[in-house]
Amino acid sequence: MSTPLLEVTGLSKRFGGFVALENLDLAIHSGERVGLIGPNGSGKSTLVNCLCGTLINETGTVRFEDRNLAGLTAHARTRLGMARSFQLPRPFFSMTIADNIRVPLIYAVNSRPGVRLSESEIGERCIALLDLVGLKDKASQRPVDLTQVEMRKLELARAMAVEPKLLIADEAMAGLSGVEVHDIVTLLIKLNERGVTVVLIEHIMRAVMQFSQRLIVLVSGKKIADGRPDDVIRDPEVVRAYLGQ
Amino acid sequence: MRNLSFALIATVVAAFVFAGARAVNSDYLFFAGYTVLQFVVLATAWNILGGYTGYVNFGSAAFFALGVYTTVFFTKLYPLPIPLLVVIGGVVSGLVGVGMGYLTLRLRGAFFAIATLALAVVLQTLIVNWHFVGGSRGAYVIRPASVAFLDSYIQYLFLIMLTVAVIALIAARAIERSSLGYGFAAIRDDELAAEALGVPTLKLKLIATALSGAFMGMAGAPFPYYIGYVQPATAFGLEYAVNSIAMPMIGGTGSWIGPLVGAILLGSLQQIATVTISSAVNLLLVGLLLVAFVMVAPNGFVGLIREFLLIAAPSRLNARAVIIVMIATYCFVGGILGIVLNLSAVMAPNSVLAAIGATGLILAVFNLVSAYGLLKLQSWSLVLTTIAFAIWIPFSAFYLWLDYAPTSVAFRAVVIVIALVALYYLQTQHVKLLYRTPLSEGRVMP
Repeated sequence: MSTPLLEVTGLSKRFGGFVALENLDLAIHSGERVGLIGPNGSGKSTLVNCLCGTLINETGTVRFEDRNLAGLTAHARTRLGMARSFQLPRPFFSMTIADNIRVPLIYAVNSRPGVRLSESEIGERCIALLDLVGLKDKASQRPVDLTQVEMRKLELARAMAVEPKLLIADEAMAGLSGVEVHDIVTLLIKLNERGVTVVLIEHIMRAVMQFSQRLIVLVSGKKIADGRPDDVIRDPEVVRAYLGQ
Repeated sequence: MRNLSFALIATVVAAFVFAGARAVNSDYLFFAGYTVLQFVVLATAWNILGGYTGYVNFGSAAFFALGVYTTVFFTKLYPLPIPLLVVIGGVVSGLVGVGMGYLTLRLRGAFFAIATLALAVVLQTLIVNWHFVGGSRGAYVIRPASVAFLDSYIQYLFLIMLTVAVIALIAARAIERSSLGYGFAAIRDDELAAEALGVPTLKLKLIATALSGAFMGMAGAPFPYYIGYVQPATAFGLEYAVNSIAMPMIGGTGSWIGPLVGAILLGSLQQIATVTISSAVNLLLVGLLLVAFVMVAPNGFVGLIREFLLIAAPSRLNARAVIIVMIATYCFVGGILGIVLNLSAVMAPNSVLAAIGATGLILAVFNLVSAYGLLKLQSWSLVLTTIAFAIWIPFSAFYLWLDYAPTSVAFRAVVIVIALVALYYLQTQHVKLLYRTPLSEGRVMP
């Protein structure tokens, strides 16, 4: 098999005496749809933060497209093509919806070598991205006017604006209703079909099962299962972690 | 292109301001105007870091003083022309800005603010103990007796500060509409999200502190020539720190125009209060206004107008809505001026004068409240504004009777005419419709 898009080897992160992640290995291949699950406190968000440069891991390496990411800041990693959405939507509240999309276009896309979007191209892309997530009509409104599900869509559109090769969606559906969850899953699959590798971190099992081609389970900072979703959820260790003995 | 035309307009306006001041030809006007312009620069500079990027700087006085003492230092070594000193002062303060930024920008919110305050204390201690620039004794800077092309030295200083103010405003507006402006706003709204979307936050924050510091230094550089004698307590004065925060907050921190409005308004007000009451009351006034604004209008006066227009005339600029904005602005400025002017009358020993002052004071408060109500589209504000204008007419007429010097007559006549026009306008059908429609049905100016 070719070199993975994202390769994590021996990653550990501790907060004081608490070990959040312990000697974690995982690989994500280009074009995959991967689900990442685990009980609360299992280290999922810490993993995302270590991958994206928000937190610094003590040991282990993160390689993206065969390039070691050690010492790179979060914005540098974003420019390389890693995007994330936040667990709780964090829109720029003082800007319009369109301007929210404009920020990554200016700072992530336009800063890549050989890319220079003109002012009108940026405008067109904003509209195209908002159209993709169904927020085109609200382009000139502000985030306060959005519903919870629309906020999540904005969050995803903003991450998509980065033109990522890898998108890490951190609980993009928490707190949404059934129909809304379906909306977001459809959207994520649509993005994947466009060639974006997607890692979905989620608690809603129905969504995870519908979405994932591969499932990874984290418990107490360790990877306990990694494989086809149907096999993984039958794994006795996974069942024990979720349901207790 | 848009920046160029703005620069052109700003230069033309500045030229008119200077020509107008020359036409009046009073040294006092230049003297007072210099201070107002200096605050325009300080407020605009503060806003680049505080308003656009969201980092509150309490140490403005330190950057101002750096500009001041750079000039003192060079004047002791070898007297340079003031424009050059302004540039040097800007560079020095900008560099210190970068240094301070690098040390403190990992701190957020109140911690950053406290760190900037500490910087001011450290710098002041350094200056107090540095004998070459006068130490705690202070230093004299002797003005040249005359200056080429202009009538007096204060005109020259005024012109320099006017130029710096124009440059600061052009820069602030250009930043606001550039990618830099989007980056700054992203940092202010959510730094973590900004970083995740590719914004190099540390670099942008350093640019903001450098620019902000540089303009503050530029505001300080001509100061020794203005005041003649500099001591640390003057250069590091509380008024610089307080005003450069209060003026943008009261004007509105969202755009370049807020600090400009705030600085002109508060700066002029302080000059008037210095003459009519005392110079000590200045900071009290600013403090009270700041508290009031933070409580009822956290986006400043410009923010109030913007919110009003967003509701009353969302699609395009509506002439009727603009007239209401003008009336509200008139009430606001009149109210603030009324408080300052009448405060001295209230304290007068003459009981008739004191009674007039008290009435004027109440009227001024009425005006302030009605300005707020009009812009917030409150239905009671129509009644209150009408009452205030109705009282204005006999009140002004009474003043006319007391004092019939030509300037006073002209002033009062204008006030009465404006009051009559406003009274008429507020009773028209579409204004009533705007204020009487329930908020839920959407209040758009018909």
